[in-house]
Amino acid sequence: MELSEEQIERYSRQIVLKEVGGIGQEKLLSSKITLIGLGALGSPVAYYLTAAGIGNLRIIDFDRVESSNLHRQILHYTNDIHRKKTYSAFQKLKLLNPDCDIEIINERITSSNSKELLKGSNFVIEGSDNIPTKMLTNDTCINLGIPFTIAGVLRFHGQIITVIPEKETACYRCVFGDVTIGDERMSCSQAGVIGLIPGVMGCLEANEAIKYILDIGDLIINRILYVDLLKYSFNFIDLYKNPDCLACKKDAIDLVEKSDYGRSNICQ
Amino acid sequence: MCPMTFVYTKLALEKLKTGEILEVLLDFRSAVKNVPENCKRQSLAELLDVRLVNPKKGAEEWELRLKKI
Repeated sequence: MELSEEQIERYSRQIVLKEVGGIGQEKLLSSKITLIGLGALGSPVAYYLTAAGIGNLRIIDFDRVESSNLHRQILHYTNDIHRKKTYSAFQKLKLLNPDCDIEIINERITSSNSKELLKGSNFVIEGSDNIPTKMLTNDTCINLGIPFTIAGVLRFHGQIITVIPEKETACYRCVFGDVTIGDERMSCSQAGVIGLIPGVMGCLEANEAIKYILDIGDLIINRILYVDLLKYSFNFIDLYKNPDCLACKKDAIDLVEKSDYGRSNICQ
Repeated sequence: MCPMTFVYTKLALEKLKTGEILEVLLDFRSAVKNVPENCKRQSLAELLDVRLVNPKKGAEEWELRLKKI
């Protein structure tokens, strides 16, 4: 790949970096990343990855923009209310960087389509608003051997973990157990969320993807980063692989095909 | 202008093999200092020599020879 004059100018501030250079920029332009969710986490992820020159970004969301989304879902504007989030996002991202091939999927990710939607990705970013989808992403990516990052937010708090199946790092299910028996944990709509915490966590997710593609720095693997913006604490908690984890233990069965991921428990 | 002088130099150096020489023509005084410094800091190349190829006041040009590390 030969960078064009326009690309050299556009990406100059990151090409300058020792960790990126022209070689790194070409890696970003050749990479394929899939993003699940175009809400509060997904907005900054999509924005920064597009800006950084990710070659192919597949964005998945089934939902439409509502006015109560706008205090935190920064890719969507007031005149996007009632529009599909994928269309709203596509419009902004194409204006931001025509270099980036944006592929939109107007579907809810489920156990019957997750493998199809995620396969072929170099990296997957989970930015949905519910734990069953996070668990489905975890299980599907482990099954397919795709590295991924999952973040979650509530109130002023956030957490993020990256999993590299090839390196057999601790997975989301190792930490958070099995939700297929029913999830009654609190959601954002009831507990509330300050608009910028998913912004902070989404930026960290995008950073994980870029660092993985460039093979630089340290990822959030075998540990979870817990962020509290009220107290300003950023703490890592060390994690260990659970040898009995249903998703990543040796000879694990294919959970994706066996579970409905507590669909009946997701509030609509 | 910065940082493009370094960006173009870096992109050219990335295509070279260790020990190969890159000649860089600059018409911007501070780049004559900054480009080799950045090359050294990023372990890209070391400066062999600098030559003022056009001494005309207001239109100075320098040629740098950089050896790829």
